[in-house]
Amino acid sequence: MTTTTERPSDDPRVKLDRDLGLFEPVPPYPPRTEREAEFYTLGDGQMFINMGPQHPSTHGVLRVVLKLDGEKVVDLDPVLGYLHRGVEKLCENADYHQAICYTDPLEYVSSLFTEWSPVIAFEKLMDVKVPRRAEYIRVLSSELNRIASHALFLGWMALDLGGLTPILWSFIERDEIVDMLAALTGQRMLFNYFRIGGVNGDLNHEFMSRLGDWMSRAAEHIEAGNGLLNENEIFVRRMRGLGTIDQKTALRMVMTGPNLRATGVPFDVRRAHPYSVFPELDFDIPTRQEGDCLARYLLRMDEIKQSLRIIDQCLHQMPDGPIMAKLPRLLRPRPGRAYAAVEGPRGQLSTYAVSDGTDQPFRMRIHDPSFIHLQSVGLMMPGHLVADTMAIMASLDPIMGGVDK
Amino acid sequence: MTVINRTWDRLTLPGKIVFTVVPILLALLIGLVAVIAILGAPIVNVLADNLPIVRFVVAATIVLLMTIPTAFLVGYMELKCIALMNLRIGPDRVGPFGSLMSVVHGLKMLMKEDFTPTGADRIVFTWAPIVVYLASVMTLLVIPFGPGLFGQDLNLGLLYFFGIGGLSVVGMLMAGWASFNKYSLLGGMRAAAQVISYEIPLTLSVVGLILLAGTMSLNQIVLDQSGWFTGWYIWRQPLGALIFFIAATAEANRTPFDLTEADSEIVAGYATEYSGMRFGFFYFAEFVNVFIIAALMVTLFLGGWNAPFPWPWPITLNLDPGGLGIELLILVAVVPLLLTLVFAAPFWIASSRIKGWQALIGGFVLANLFLVGLVATAAYISLDWVAGVFWFMTKTYVFVFILVWMRGTLPRVRVDQLMDFAWKWLLPASLLNLFVTAAAIVVVKG
Repeated sequence: MTTTTERPSDDPRVKLDRDLGLFEPVPPYPPRTEREAEFYTLGDGQMFINMGPQHPSTHGVLRVVLKLDGEKVVDLDPVLGYLHRGVEKLCENADYHQAICYTDPLEYVSSLFTEWSPVIAFEKLMDVKVPRRAEYIRVLSSELNRIASHALFLGWMALDLGGLTPILWSFIERDEIVDMLAALTGQRMLFNYFRIGGVNGDLNHEFMSRLGDWMSRAAEHIEAGNGLLNENEIFVRRMRGLGTIDQKTALRMVMTGPNLRATGVPFDVRRAHPYSVFPELDFDIPTRQEGDCLARYLLRMDEIKQSLRIIDQCLHQMPDGPIMAKLPRLLRPRPGRAYAAVEGPRGQLSTYAVSDGTDQPFRMRIHDPSFIHLQSVGLMMPGHLVADTMAIMASLDPIMGGVDK
Repeated sequence: MTVINRTWDRLTLPGKIVFTVVPILLALLIGLVAVIAILGAPIVNVLADNLPIVRFVVAATIVLLMTIPTAFLVGYMELKCIALMNLRIGPDRVGPFGSLMSVVHGLKMLMKEDFTPTGADRIVFTWAPIVVYLASVMTLLVIPFGPGLFGQDLNLGLLYFFGIGGLSVVGMLMAGWASFNKYSLLGGMRAAAQVISYEIPLTLSVVGLILLAGTMSLNQIVLDQSGWFTGWYIWRQPLGALIFFIAATAEANRTPFDLTEADSEIVAGYATEYSGMRFGFFYFAEFVNVFIIAALMVTLFLGGWNAPFPWPWPITLNLDPGGLGIELLILVAVVPLLLTLVFAAPFWIASSRIKGWQALIGGFVLANLFLVGLVATAAYISLDWVAGVFWFMTKTYVFVFILVWMRGTLPRVRVDQLMDFAWKWLLPASLLNLFVTAAAIVVVKG
């Protein structure tokens, strides 16, 4: 056996020209921008701390490099890309039906919305008229999915503030909904249910009986679960005034969805740019003025109530008829471009698709609200404490699958 | 020699362990017997001359050993009660209702790799869990578990308690500093700030009680509260009891004040880099701490081992089993059999689906439970310390349950809120309590 004194060429220490601390988060290359240079220069008494990608309470694999002064956050640098799959490029190499499977896991807790937005875009490309029953089924199932997503949010929010119980209580509701959707679509998480021109299957008996069962007690259960938190002094005190963002800044940072509505802007894609059968349905757009974490939390609870209203109306107005438009097996839309936006549980989720006349999209661009919301983290966090970073992050409710795409 | 070697190689691992351990134990036993046989009388004499020291050593050993079942029980409560509050099932695989789960956790800790991170200060890193653990175990020495059941009746018991209890912060700081991890460092710093801040209201909240009792000996404080439950100090010091409970919760780093190991913020605080039994010691210390603050709460404010009411009529059991002679033997042989049959009869009669042997097993279990209950009742009536330990443990575990309940219900406070609460609310309130108590004593007595 021969021993070599030289280091192998893949030893990372070989390339370092300066002495870094063992686990310093400073990147091993010279700063590329002024901002980077400024951020990675430590002031007096400051230190870096790596929050994520393996921190127990970052949602997914977000890594945030925090610059701390004691426990106070001075500055931060979110590092993305740990979950990057290249979904948009994958979609461009798949035909139109297959593309939906790839967009499915973007927001893996509310997959129906990430299916819905490309499906509408493709339908616009192909001038398909979707049967009304299919539209109603889409609205019904996606609103159920919205409740499931919000229920998870409420639990996570509490868990990040140290409450152990609410997440398990809200998982009861979420599990019930997810099982229901599994009866409808065949999957618990990545449903792959919406098709271009309709939906995959009609409402079945198991879904309807489970839904009826759940609807009779849903409002009551969600109230009970939230009673644990809404009147909890510790919870409210920690959330009030935390991560405040005003209306103008929120609009400037292109926030949408509940996070924008929590600042008082009643913008909801379902009303502003109506799609599907939402014009026929009666629901309110809840808003709050404060723009802090508590407002975002309470707003999502109001949204759950509105979703229950929509589901109720869907069930009453559901027409008979086909659930799928007549379409050729191989889809070749005319060359052109289409844009479609839906109101996901996190905000406006939109797809821009360009067709060149083949059976694959020429270009697909997905605008994901989680990514947009993460950029305002830099405005909210500095000045707060380490403990609050997680609360602010949770209140924005980003899903890393959508952020990294 | 080769024969021995070959035989040894053929043994399986358990066999090797048995063939090593058994001879060593035998040798030790023989040595012990020999020592006692030769030096028996002098040893007994020396022990008898130094009875206080012997008593102290025995008490310390018992207290040290007692932490193990205590930690297991509190840990099991933590798992099971929070699971039930979460509408989960919780542990249910090991033992009845999963009650041996914490034993398994302990064994798992022992078997895990004991890991020291690169760059850690090895010596400090190793000693930190020991300091934390000993700081909480040593406070158990002064707590009276029953009449006469205490490690040492210090006349400065309370002071000793706070002094030693405050030592745990040293261990936490050591762990936070030596781990070479910024989360650990933050956890250690938080622990230092929190424990030192809450030490002040904690100590001040019992000063009123010390004025009333006129002593700092925990045993004397318990004796003062005997009789009806109206004599407990909680009725005379309600504010003090409340402040004490809150501050003690913070002192033991329990929810909602568990900032030092806030898993959603700083991973596991000062214990982030620990694994194996060194991590286990931190958890041991935490569970024992829960028991200790509950025990001290009971000792100071809820009458300790006193029953809430004096026994209204004196009961004496004139049992002298030796006086029965041969009849005792017959009783021992016959009564269990009879009881088994008697308890099996309802099973047999109730359902035709239950077979005879199944009914007999049910009867046997019930008969045993009945006999154990009988013996326990007799012990409770005739032995003071059994009654004392019974009441002490009952009250203490009620408070342990309350602490677990809080963990299942409340979210965590923030660092600045924690400090605000200690300095702006608890400290003035405890000073007010002290002032009112002192004034009342002057008015009533003076």
